[in-house]
Amino acid sequence: MENNVTQVAFKINGKEHTLDIDNRFTLLDILRDKLNLTGAKKGCDLGECGACTVTLDGKAVNSCQILAVKIASSEIKTIEGLNQGNILHPLQISFIENDGGQCGYCTPGFIMGAYPLFESRRNVSVEEIRLALAGNLCRCNAYGAIIDSVVGAIGIKADG
Amino acid sequence: MVDQNAHPPSVGTSFQRVDLRDKVLGIAKYTADLSLPDMLHARVLRSPHPHANILSIDVQPALNMVGVHDILTPFNVGEGKVAPDVPILDTKVRFVGDEIAVVAAVNVYEADAAIDLIKVSYEVLPFSTNMDTSMKKGNPKIHTQGNVVNGGPIVEARGNVEEGFDQADYIVEDSFTTPGHHPASLEPRAALASWDGTRLTMWKPSRGIHADKAILASALDVNPNNITVIGPVMGGGYGSKDETRTSVLAALLSMRTGRPVKLELSREEEFLAGRRRHSTFTKIKMGVKKDGTVTAVHAKTVMDTGAYLSSGPGVVRRAGQGALYLYRCPNVKYEGQIVYTNTPTAGSYRALGAPQGHFALESLSDQVADKLSIDPLKFRLMNHVGPEGQPGERTTPKNQIIDTQPVEGGIPFSSNELRQCLILGADAIGWERRDQIQTPTGFIKRGIGMSMFIYRGGPGGQSKAKMSLDEDGFFTLNVGFMDVGEGSSTVVLQMAADTLGVLPQMVRLNSGNTDNTPQSPMTAGSTLTFSAGQAAVRAANQLAQIVIEAASEVIGLTDTEGLYITPEGVCSARGDEVNFTDLAKKSGLLKTTVSVTPGSRDYIVNSFGAHFAEIEVDIETGYVKVIKYVAAHDSGTIINPRMAESQVRGGISQMMGFTFLEDMEIDDLSGVTLNASFLEHKSPTIMEYPEIEVIFADSIDPVGPFGAKSLGETPCIAPAPTIANALYHATGVRLNHLPFTPDNVLTALRKLR
Repeated sequence: MENNVTQVAFKINGKEHTLDIDNRFTLLDILRDKLNLTGAKKGCDLGECGACTVTLDGKAVNSCQILAVKIASSEIKTIEGLNQGNILHPLQISFIENDGGQCGYCTPGFIMGAYPLFESRRNVSVEEIRLALAGNLCRCNAYGAIIDSVVGAIGIKADG
Repeated sequence: MVDQNAHPPSVGTSFQRVDLRDKVLGIAKYTADLSLPDMLHARVLRSPHPHANILSIDVQPALNMVGVHDILTPFNVGEGKVAPDVPILDTKVRFVGDEIAVVAAVNVYEADAAIDLIKVSYEVLPFSTNMDTSMKKGNPKIHTQGNVVNGGPIVEARGNVEEGFDQADYIVEDSFTTPGHHPASLEPRAALASWDGTRLTMWKPSRGIHADKAILASALDVNPNNITVIGPVMGGGYGSKDETRTSVLAALLSMRTGRPVKLELSREEEFLAGRRRHSTFTKIKMGVKKDGTVTAVHAKTVMDTGAYLSSGPGVVRRAGQGALYLYRCPNVKYEGQIVYTNTPTAGSYRALGAPQGHFALESLSDQVADKLSIDPLKFRLMNHVGPEGQPGERTTPKNQIIDTQPVEGGIPFSSNELRQCLILGADAIGWERRDQIQTPTGFIKRGIGMSMFIYRGGPGGQSKAKMSLDEDGFFTLNVGFMDVGEGSSTVVLQMAADTLGVLPQMVRLNSGNTDNTPQSPMTAGSTLTFSAGQAAVRAANQLAQIVIEAASEVIGLTDTEGLYITPEGVCSARGDEVNFTDLAKKSGLLKTTVSVTPGSRDYIVNSFGAHFAEIEVDIETGYVKVIKYVAAHDSGTIINPRMAESQVRGGISQMMGFTFLEDMEIDDLSGVTLNASFLEHKSPTIMEYPEIEVIFADSIDPVGPFGAKSLGETPCIAPAPTIANALYHATGVRLNHLPFTPDNVLTALRKLR
């Protein structure tokens, strides 16, 4: 089979990359298979579970639904880009403090789904949190603790 | 001796889930996150037919592809078996989605392209997608032994159920069905196999690495000593990640190609080739006297195991335990039958048959209360099984451990705070205002319902633990169990640390690799905290003694009198002190290995609970909203309250899927599963997550470690009947068929009009 390859330049977690990308690959494939950023998970590969959520130019997206060749000049942030070494992001701290994950497979997706809300630097209601995360499934159904975790992190920001 | 005052105990505190930091950082490694140099990727060709013999397979065009390295078919995999009724690959396929052939290629795209080139010639057979068709005489046998497993039901009885019904003033009888919904863990099954010529290393999501090792050894005919099974972090299983063909196929491909092979199932494949809950049909009947005394209970359950048996026998037995044991009654009987169909396989799913059995029993119980004009809570307070157990004679010999699913009477429970759960839960939901909340007019009807449950309390198989004080002054607890996402590694660590008298941070847990852990049963049946916990406690107790003896030598004492362990080391009454690091250096490795057979010879160890829900039903749309949910549980001592609450809330919300949404829909004409995706097999989301109040009864079990009993599965048993009873209270309509989707609710409501 002929492999069409496109050279694409983009930024992930603040770092520039230029890659020859197989046109069939999704952004999720690139993250997991080429860049070894396995925090984003392949739960369905159909945009139905949110386990692969990353931000693309500030917006939360299902990375399995973005063809990798389309990310030219974009800026992507993944779960691996939130903490500065041992200094965890307030969302990460809050997910630990509020037991916001059980098996943990959905956790990076939920945190990245909540990240734009955190970045919006405004007070949000629980209803807005639910809406922002409506496309993320947690099969352990840790939803209550996840809401508490996001509320906790945004609270941290409001105070700070 | 352990100085209990040296530091606050960890048990009973919400010590942080040990693996959560890696999970929020995105660095926790799940099987699919792993890769090896030169790794091949495998994809599976699945059957388009629900029932067919495979006559021949032409793999040559596919094998000719440059990127393709090997293809497994039923004709080249040998005679090994994954389970008694599951060959590695078979010349007969039994459901749409059954494995036929497996390709190993340089990447998944090439593997998928190769799959398309494989030509299979079938002899298509008549098939059955439901139990009625399967049980009809003359219909084609799905397995040679016939479509009814073992030819008929299991029968369990206490007393004489006919006599019991003769004594009854009223007999209430009804039928119930439950759906074959899918646990759909977010992590699909995956396996990474590496064969180096003599040794096989297997990474796979596992709830029992030692059990998986035995299956691989037997299926592949490889010496178990040459197999290592490693369980990476597991992305949810809820009991369902029992062994399927996945890991065996990856292993065989690696052995044949000499290269590492990774096989990841897609979401659709996980739905089809994973394991779902058995759908059931239950007929149940209860006899009562006018004063409300229960005289007889008789339940018959038939369950659909799909194409293969999996854990069916355990599931069908557990479906009957509520009918046999939840109500104090001398005469009870349960018959449970398993039937093969040409549909995706059912297996273990959180609480096994208990949710199905309790849905029928606890719905019927409300109907009985109605018949007697007794408040449903009062009826249960009158009749629930008490601490003394069931009437009757013990038949288990005195020196034998009591089964956690007994039938016989005459044995007390080690602890039973069901009554406390009923009272505390009723208080929290506001049961006393139940008569006032109904709304006779308007489209929104409000109601409150409740139900109760009984479940195995935690004693499982023989459990081992090794514990040591290492050279660096830290302790290591070696156990062969798996944390399947529920947090067992955290609570077992807490128990071991407290027993020893050190901080949990001082204890490392080593698990998840068959090479350096002792044999352990699977993480199944809510047994882990209890059984592995008992082993950990005993190991820690023995190690404490060994450490103190070593310390007395190092300090230069003649005996261990007055020595005690502190978080830093060992102290004597007169002020001598040796810290753990120095002790380890001077004494060498201090270690112990223990093996425990969990359980009791005198008591039944069971967990209990009562659930309550207040709901609103929109009779125009059929939509049901849960306003408030209360779960009161007797699980003995709660080792880690925050994690325990997460477990209960999660289990309830998960079972809102069983109650309101989920069912695998299989087309009767084609055998095709119509909704093998998250979009169509809809599960609860954060949008409808209700307020859930969790109450733990004041209970300390005298048998369990630190007084603990099971909790893993118990939250899943009562949600469906609780909602069914609330729906009846709100609308006067009883729904006997799950799930309560808006259209099912509307249809039921229209029948009433």
